[in-house]
Formats: sequence, structure tokens, C-alpha cells
Amino acid sequence: MNDPVELFGFDMMTNYLIIGAGLMTLGMLGFLTRRNLIVMFLSAEMMLQGTALTLVAFGRYHGNWSGQVFTIVILTVAACEASVALALILVLFARKSSLDVSLWQELREPGLRAEPVSVEAMAESYEPAPGPESYPHLTPAGIEPAHPGPHGNILPR
Amino acid sequence: MIEMPDNFPAISDLFRAILAIVCGAIGTYLLLPHPHGRIKARNVHILGVGLTALGLVLLASFWNAPASLISGFFFYLFGLSALGGAVLTVTSRNPVYSALWFAAVVLSTAGLFLLAGAQFLAAGTIIVYAGAIIVTFLFVIMLAQMEGKARYDRSSRSPAAATFTSYLLLWSLVFAVLCLRVPVGGVSPATNQASLANRLRPTTYLLDIYGGQMGSRSINSVLRESVRPTALLDPRKDRSKVADADPTIPHVAGLGATMFTDHLITVELSGILLFVALVGAIAIAQPKKPIRPTIATPSA
Amino acid sequence: MSSALINNAWLVCVFPLIGALVTALAGRQLKQHAHWPVVVGIGVGFLYAFTLLLRTPEGKDLVAFSWLSVGDSLKVPIELRVDGLSTMMLSMVTFVATLVAIFASGYMAGDPGYTRFFTLFGLFVFSMTGLVLSGNFLLTYAFWEGVGVCSYLLIGFWHEKPAAAAAAKKAFLVNRIGDVGFALAIFWMWKVSAGHSLSYLSILSHEGLAALSEFDRTGISLLLFWAAAAKSAQFPLYVWLPDAMEGPTPVSALIHAATMVTAGVYLIARSSALIVGSPTAQLVICVTGCVTALLAALIALTQTDLKRVMAYSTVSQLGFMFMGLGAGVGTVAQLAVVAALFHLFTHAFFKALLFLASGSVMHAMGGVIDMRRFGGLWRRLPITCATFALGGLALAGIPPMAGFWSKDEILTALNKASSVANQQGGPGWGVVYGIIYWVAILTAFMTAFYTGRAFFMTFFGPEKLPSPNDPEAEPVDASHDNGHGHDDHGHAGHEVGHESPAIMTYPLIVLAFCAVFVGMIFGPWTGWFEGQIETMIGFHTLNPSEHHGGHEWDWLSIGVGTLAGLLGLGLSYLFYGQPSPIPGRLAKAIAPLYRLSLDKFRVDEFYGLLIVKPTTLLSKIAAFFDTNIIDNLVRLVALMPRLFGRDLLAPYQNGLIQYYAAVTAFGVAGFLTILLLF
Repeated sequence: MNDPVELFGFDMMTNYLIIGAGLMTLGMLGFLTRRNLIVMFLSAEMMLQGTALTLVAFGRYHGNWSGQVFTIVILTVAACEASVALALILVLFARKSSLDVSLWQELREPGLRAEPVSVEAMAESYEPAPGPESYPHLTPAGIEPAHPGPHGNILPR
Repeated sequence: MIEMPDNFPAISDLFRAILAIVCGAIGTYLLLPHPHGRIKARNVHILGVGLTALGLVLLASFWNAPASLISGFFFYLFGLSALGGAVLTVTSRNPVYSALWFAAVVLSTAGLFLLAGAQFLAAGTIIVYAGAIIVTFLFVIMLAQMEGKARYDRSSRSPAAATFTSYLLLWSLVFAVLCLRVPVGGVSPATNQASLANRLRPTTYLLDIYGGQMGSRSINSVLRESVRPTALLDPRKDRSKVADADPTIPHVAGLGATMFTDHLITVELSGILLFVALVGAIAIAQPKKPIRPTIATPSA
Repeated sequence: MSSALINNAWLVCVFPLIGALVTALAGRQLKQHAHWPVVVGIGVGFLYAFTLLLRTPEGKDLVAFSWLSVGDSLKVPIELRVDGLSTMMLSMVTFVATLVAIFASGYMAGDPGYTRFFTLFGLFVFSMTGLVLSGNFLLTYAFWEGVGVCSYLLIGFWHEKPAAAAAAKKAFLVNRIGDVGFALAIFWMWKVSAGHSLSYLSILSHEGLAALSEFDRTGISLLLFWAAAAKSAQFPLYVWLPDAMEGPTPVSALIHAATMVTAGVYLIARSSALIVGSPTAQLVICVTGCVTALLAALIALTQTDLKRVMAYSTVSQLGFMFMGLGAGVGTVAQLAVVAALFHLFTHAFFKALLFLASGSVMHAMGGVIDMRRFGGLWRRLPITCATFALGGLALAGIPPMAGFWSKDEILTALNKASSVANQQGGPGWGVVYGIIYWVAILTAFMTAFYTGRAFFMTFFGPEKLPSPNDPEAEPVDASHDNGHGHDDHGHAGHEVGHESPAIMTYPLIVLAFCAVFVGMIFGPWTGWFEGQIETMIGFHTLNPSEHHGGHEWDWLSIGVGTLAGLLGLGLSYLFYGQPSPIPGRLAKAIAPLYRLSLDKFRVDEFYGLLIVKPTTLLSKIAAFFDTNIIDNLVRLVALMPRLFGRDLLAPYQNGLIQYYAAVTAFGVAGFLTILLLF
């Protein structure tokens, strides 16, 4: 360490533990509430971040490398998860043209009523939001790429 | 008068923790999208932001400021931006913003890694996660923007229950952290040991069931060993040399040496895992023919 | 040489078993030759047994290996007892079985269950020889059950016929009642015997008997007799035997006349050393035997079904054997046991003969067995007639036929018992035995009468063949619808009224020869049989008679017994030799008694009312309890998984990943909180 003046002491470790716990639980909250597959996936990554922070803090406090090695493993697993999850999201989106996780509830007990998918079904009235939530528009550049069709096959131009 | 364990947090601390959690929970709940997708009033948003910020500050009040001012400043900066970014990641209606806030969280975490002396990890996190996040971000743009605003982003699933659950867990964790005591002299003080023993009572009780002794050693000796720095576990090593890593060895080099000597198999396994995930991702994402091909395909 | 022969006595029961197995496995290939393995197996068994009989000098116990061993308290070796009694029984069983098997190969020809019949036949002979060879009460019990099962299966051989199925069930159930007694006797013996040994040798030896108290001896004896009464069809458990005639005639001849039903007599005779220790038990045995003999003879007087007459005659003769066994009080003991066993021995031959002859008649009459529907058959069935006559003479006890010798011995034993019983039991016992003696002679008279009646009704008088328009004929369709009428198996189109084929008549001739000579060869004249029995365990512990050397002839019994037999035969000739109005008038004169006898004293109806009805009622209550209470409880228990699984927990599997994650997270949070706070 370049600046060995400051020891990473007990107090510092508890600081890190509190931040790690916060990241973990907030990630969990996101995973539980959000319906967008990608946001859920981001939340899961955030939980991993919290855990990694905790491990690094412990490793530092105990003065060995195990925590960091463990974190590297977590990083690896997260990368793998990202690749597989994104591939899955791609396939799922190709099937239903939506990222709503509520669309994927076929694996349930027979005879159970499905949770309502559309917002209209959940709410009696739904007023379309003009609000601030709008997507940024990217400047179109180059040739427009071939859009994937509703069934995952590339539509002929 | 109930006899409190000596490591029980001070009542004021406890009250502060509960207040922080409750404020954070209510604020987050107000910030989350309405379950039925209704638009929340601006005042609600402001109240939510305020409460969440209050909760965050209260939580931050449990932090012990580092000795040095510079690192203290950066610690508070990164810590607050990490938690704040986390809240915004979760509560943003727009997945693009979520992704951006998540990038902020990752960057803050990388900063915290740096402060904890994990330079390699900080760099690695930025590289790997930033890459992953950018990919995700592109996906979001590519997939979601095609349809404009998605309604499912504007509604959340049972926010009250989820908030309650999450913050209950957070409170438990913070409580557990508050129960920890500074080890005297850096090495497994009796109070710390007792506190662990106390907090782990169910576990020790279980250990009692299994004979009360592990081998010839008592529970206490086992606990003592579990709390002391791992650097001391190897009696051949000198504490003064090992504790905060050898200053003569560069940090990344030390990590590398450890990884490729002590944890070689872990590294190899990680490589295999990455490879398998790569293959899997390609196999999954490849556009496939329909599962049930049309029957009328006369052979040539 | 001789010892090797004896050591391998188990082969006698293995040969029939091998025969049965070969028939069972290769029956499909053997087709109409399916009887050969069994006939050969039993025949070889007989040759072996006969060689043993000629060679056995003294009793020997063979222990093959330990079968059951439960600590020190229960040790049951596979233990065989080879002595005069067992070799004699073995020879008799295998001899009769061989002849009956040969007869059956003709009689059963063409039956669809031919293979099954001979398999069961072989199994039965295996069980029976095992029962006789066994040297251990528990092993005996196992084979005892074995013969019971074979009997059940063979009575119900034509199980499509409801009557046969019912008869088989009845036989099995009544035998179960007796088996309970046997089991209790074994438990008792196990408890009191030295070293908890159940072998004959340790229980029936002098030391073994001395260890038992008077109470033990009486109790065990009575329990053993309980078992014997069921197996050997004694009052009040005889009811299954007449019904057992629903089985094929060879089965009736072998199992329900010659061998299995005598197993009870054999068991009591085996245990006679034990039983003479209890005069009370002896009196019970003797009185029961007497009542059975008289009752069965009275019923036999009026029956018109030839096989049923023979069945009641068997019951009656078994009663005679038990009378003989029960008469063994005091110094008569040895004589009585020998007499009973000798009667068992001779009876096997002539009763098997009579049954086979009846079967031959039935075969010739196309399955009809009602004596009123045929008559004067002696011209058409000369061999059957002659052999039946010889068997009948033996049964009636006319000298010098086999039956004469044995019956005379029993009468002698009873006569002597009446004179010595007073010292043994108490005042008045002598009178009881005296009454039994005279009842026995009366029974002998009736035996001769009904035997003569059956013979004359069948073979004498004007010739008459069964025809469907006979007033006594059963409705034709009823007897033909179910495939087999009364023992009518594939005789459709068979010309009635012809003598049976040689394969059936030769066994008759051989048996008739035995019925004539076996008494003279083995009987008191030569003392061979008695010499054989002497090697039985505990025979010498019985009180020896005062007279040693040579048989003591009781001329009174001989005279009265023979006279009764002749009188009975003469009277029956008078009544039935030619068409005569006397029987009809007599029947009218004593109409109530006649009806009672014809209805078999309504014993079955009495049982039905007293036992079957309450049992049915009880089982109905139990069924109600079962279907309404137990089943509902079970359904309630079965409801629990549905309640918890489907109604309570299944909604949690709603397909939403976040829902699952929420439950998991809540669990973690909750448990962590609890862990930290409490």
C-alpha cells in the first residue's frame, strides 16, 4: 500500500459492512419490486456488489488476500451471469416482445389465476403519463440495422 | 430490569438505527412506482426523496470517520453516492436511468475498493462492470425503446411488502454490526469473543448438542480462533510483516502471487466457468427454429 | 448300508415333491402324460419307505439342520423321526397314494386341470409324508398346515362349481379352528418342556413327561385332541368332511379317507405317552370318538349319495379309532394304541378301495352318484362290484377281512378298559367305558348295515341306469351349466354303464387284495404291526399289559362284533337285496327320526344359526365400522395433504419469480432478526 499511514481498522470495517448491507438490501428491494427484467438483473448485480464490498473489507481487516480473491470469483460469476442472463433476456424478448417478468408465469400450479399482466387489468383507470419520463433519442447514424422480428428471425428488408 | 448483554448497542444508537431504517423505508416506498401504475404526485416524490436522504444521513452517522481528512472525504463521497445511487437504481421509472445509476453505484464501489486498498479490484470492477453495464444499457435502448414507454416500468410489484422485507433485513444487519465491539489491541479481545458467543448462542447451543467440545478444544478456544485475524493463523508468519501486506511488495503483485499460488485451482475453475457461460450464452441466444417444426417436410 | 438307508429317509418325501415340481413346470409339455412324474415319484417313495419298513430295527432321530434358532429359547431343527410307526405310516401313505394316483390318471383323463391336479397331488403326498416323518411338533405343525392347504385346493379343484368352492372354504375354516388348538398346544409345550425343546424325543421321553404336571398333561392333551378333532373330523368339527366329497373322487379316497384325516389319529397316537398321563383327556377322547361314531353311522343309514355314505362311514370309523385311543387307560394302554393305529392302517386300504370303487361306479354312470338312480349294476361292472364287496366286508368287520382284526382289537381294548378304568379314573368310569363298548358294537352293526345297503342298492336288484327323466334326477341344465355337474368332468358323449378301463380297475384289485389280507399279515396273528409300533417314542413308558408274549384273544368281543356285522349285512340284504317295501314302511313308521337322519341331524343348520349368523352379523358391523368410521378417518388423513398442499400452499407457486424471491428474502430477514433479538 502506498499510504501505509492509515491502518484499515475495526471502525473502517464496520463502515464498509454497513454500506455493503445497504447495497445488498436495496438490490434485493429492486429485484423484488421491479417488473423489468433488465432492472431486476441490475438489482441482482447490485446485491453482488454489496457482498463484494463486505468481503473486501473483511479481507483487508484481517490482512490477507482471501477476500479479494473471493471478490474476483464473484466478479467472474457476475460476468457469467451477465452473459447468460442477457442471452436469456434476448430470447424472452424475442418471444413476447416485452421485458415484463409477469409475462413469464406459466410454471405455476394448475388452476391458479394468473397475476394480471397489463396495467389496465391492475388498475381501474390509467391515465397516460406525459410526465418527465421519456426516453432519450439517439441521433440516427449509418444504416438502420435489421430489426429482429417478433419471432426472433431477422426480417428481410 | 432486563439484564442486557454487555455488547448490546446503546439505546440511543439503537433508536437512531431504527429511525434511519424507518425513514429510509418510508422514503423508498414513496419513491417506488405505484403498484397500479398511477402517477404519484410531485409532493410525494419530494417527500420520498427527503425521507430517504434523511435515512441515508442517519445511517451515515454510524460511520466512523477515517483518520485522514482526504480519505475521509472520499469515503463519505463514495459511500453516500453508492447508497444513493442504489436507491435511485431501484426507484427509477426508466430502465436507462436505472442502468446509469447502477453505473454510478459501480463507480462508487470501485472507489471504496480503492480506499480499502484493493486497487486491482477497483480497476477490474470498473472494466468488467462498466463493460457489462454498457452492454446492458445498449440492450435496454435496443429493446425497450422500440415500443416507447413501457407500462410495466411504471408499476411495481407489492412495494410495501418488499420494502418491509428488505429494510427488515437491513435493520438486522445493521444491528448485528452495531453489536460488534472494537477488539482491544487488535487481537480477539475477550469482549468481542463474548459478544460473538452471545450473539451466536443458537449456534453454540447446537455445538453443545454435538458434545460441547470440538475435539479436545473448548468452544471458547474455537471462537477465539475464529475472531482473531487470519494472518495469525499461520504461526510461521510474523504479524508485523504480514498484517497490512508487505509494503515492499506492490499490492497487485501480492494479490497475483496469492491467486496463482494459493488459489490456483479457483482461478482455473473461474476460467472454465467463464468458458462454459460463454458457450451457454451463445447457445441460448442463437436464433433457433421453432421447437415443433412443421410436419409436412417431404424428404428430398 | 442300513444306517445310510435310514439317514436318507427324507428322500421319501422328496421324491413326490420332485414329481410335483416336474409336473408343475413341464405340465404343458407333458399334456396327457402329466401324471407320470408324480406317479413315479410317489412310487419310488413307496419303494424306499417299504425298504425302510423292512429294515428298521429301532427308532432313530435324524437332525438335518437347525431351521429356526431364536436365542436359547426357541430352537427348531429340521428333525426327522424314523421308527416303526413312521415307516409304517409312510409305507401305507405312499402305497395308497401310488394306487390312487394310477387310478386318477384314468379317472381324471381329459380334465382341463389335469396338470394342476397331479401337482397338488404330489404336493399333498410330500406334505403328508413330511408330517409322518417329522420328529418335532413345530415341523409337524408346518406339514399339518401343508396337508390342510393341499386338501383345500383339491376339494376346490372344480372351483367353478359353487358347491365345491364353498366346501373347500368350509373345510379350510373348520381346519383352522383345529389349528388354533395345535398352536396353543405347541405354545404350552414350549413353555413347560425342558430347554424349550419341541422335539418328540424330549417331550415324550420318560424324563420329559416326568417334568410335566398333571395339569400340563391334561391341558396339552386336550389341546392336541382339539387339533386332531378338526383334522380327523370328530364331533363337533366333523362337518367339513362330508362336504369335502365335492372334490374329485381320488382326492376323497386318498386325502379324505385314507391319509390326511388320519393325521389327527396319528398325532394323538404319537403323543400317547403324554395322553395316557391324563385319564380325563382319555375319557374325553373316548366319549367324543363314541359320539362321533354313533352320530355318523346314524346319518349314513339314510343317505342316498354313495360318496356321502362313504364319507360318514369315514367319520364313523375315525370315531372308532379315537375310541380305541381313549380306551388306553391303565394296563390297556399299549393294546389300545396298537389297536387304534392298526385300525387306521387297515381302514386306509379298504376305505380307499370303497371310495375308488364308488368313483368307478360314478365314472360308469356318467357322473351320477345318487344310489336311487341306478341299481343292479353287478352284471355291467363285475370288477367294481367284486372289489366293492370285499371292501364292504372289510368295513363291516367280517372275518377274516382286514377290518375285522382291527375292529376286534378296538372292541377288546374297550372291553378291557371298562374293567380297569375304575381304578384309574374313579368310580363310575368303568360303567362309562362299558356303555361306550356297547355303543361301539351297535355302531359296528350299523356300519355293516349301511355298507350292505350301499352295496345292495348299487349292485343288486333290477338293473337300472341313470336317465334324465328319473324322478330323483337333478335338473339337467343346473348340473351342466357350470361345466362340471356333480363330478361330471368331460363325460359328455361317454356311453354309460361300462366297466372302467384297466388303469382304474387294477388299483381296485390291488387294494381289494390288501383289504382281504393286510389284517392277517400284519395283525395280531403275526404281531408284526405291534412289533413295529413298539419302537415308537414312549411306547415303553405306557403301562404294559399283564400278558406278555402272544396276543390275548377276547372271544366275547370277537363273537359279538362278528355277529353284529353279520346281522347288519343280513338285515340290509333283507331290506335292499331285492325291491322290498320294508324300508319305506319303516321310514314312515319312524318318520321324524328318519327325517332327522336324512337331514344329518341338522348340525349344519345349527352351526349356521349359532356361529355363522352371529359371525356374519359381527362382520357386517365390522364392515360398517370399517367403511364409515375407519375409512372416513383415513380420508380425513388423506385430506390433510390436499388441504395443506393444494389449498393452502399451492397458491404460493404462482409462477412469479419475484414472489419466490420475496418469500425467500422474508425468510432470511425474519430468521436473522429472530436470531439476533432472541
